[in-house]
Amino acid sequence: MAGTPHLVRGVDHVAYPTLDPAATVAFYRDALGFPVVHSICAAGWGPADHPDFIHFFFDIGNGDRLAFFYYFGYEPPRRGVKGDVYARFEDDVPDFFVSSRHLAIHVDGEADLMEYRRRLDSSRWPVELQVQHETIESIYTHDPNGYMVEITRALRPVTPQEDLDANLTIDALLDVLRADRPTMDALLARKAELILERAAGWAVPAPKLATGAPTR
Amino acid sequence: MSALYVLDVPENRPVAEVAAHDRTVSLRRVGPYFEIVFDREVVIDRRATGCRPAVWYSSVAGTRDARITQWDKDSLRLESA
Repeated sequence: MAGTPHLVRGVDHVAYPTLDPAATVAFYRDALGFPVVHSICAAGWGPADHPDFIHFFFDIGNGDRLAFFYYFGYEPPRRGVKGDVYARFEDDVPDFFVSSRHLAIHVDGEADLMEYRRRLDSSRWPVELQVQHETIESIYTHDPNGYMVEITRALRPVTPQEDLDANLTIDALLDVLRADRPTMDALLARKAELILERAAGWAVPAPKLATGAPTR
Repeated sequence: MSALYVLDVPENRPVAEVAAHDRTVSLRRVGPYFEIVFDREVVIDRRATGCRPAVWYSSVAGTRDARITQWDKDSLRLESA
């Protein structure tokens, strides 16, 4: 909300369970080259039936970390025919839903993206897809746990008008969700109303000048 | 009159430009959006725009008094509602 300070500073860590820590280390540390930066050996944690576990962290750049839990002696009941080691689904769940959850890690440019493509393609986990989206280009694979991993680069900076557009989209979505059957048609009609209400007087901010002078 | 709204970013500009080739269509501005105004129907050929799929399928920002009757790899078609 306006006036509410935005104080957070990105991802500290995101954590997933793994049933195969050897393959997880082979993928993130050895194939991708993400350093191991932290680990916790936790014995006697929690209630008596809580297994001992290793919580280990990979540096994914920018001080952010991707972490895993390995629980000694624990394997969840095997259910479902698709999904990853954490979330399993039966065949009646469509692939678009199963594959929607993923982690995207960004790189600075095309050369760096292609470097990670090279590392993956020479590993047991080659790139499954490379695609240019609206404003980013991405490569995808699944890690040994079945988690989808995306590495992406910006094709150009996001513009202020795209932030405005995103906010109109979300406000239109919240409005149409109050209907019995929200649809894309209803959202686009509502969004057009919001564009006329709010966007007509909106001026594109002047681009920041690259003067080289320090800013404070 | 009906209208299609397209955000003015570099990837979307060909969508507005191709739409404006139709003499029955008028192209205006509403803030950072193109407003593509039409009477009964507007058809935009994807190949003429040169848009890759991700851009093509995210180029519509809003529709006024119109419904989308075709939006596939060939064309985007809107008709007055």
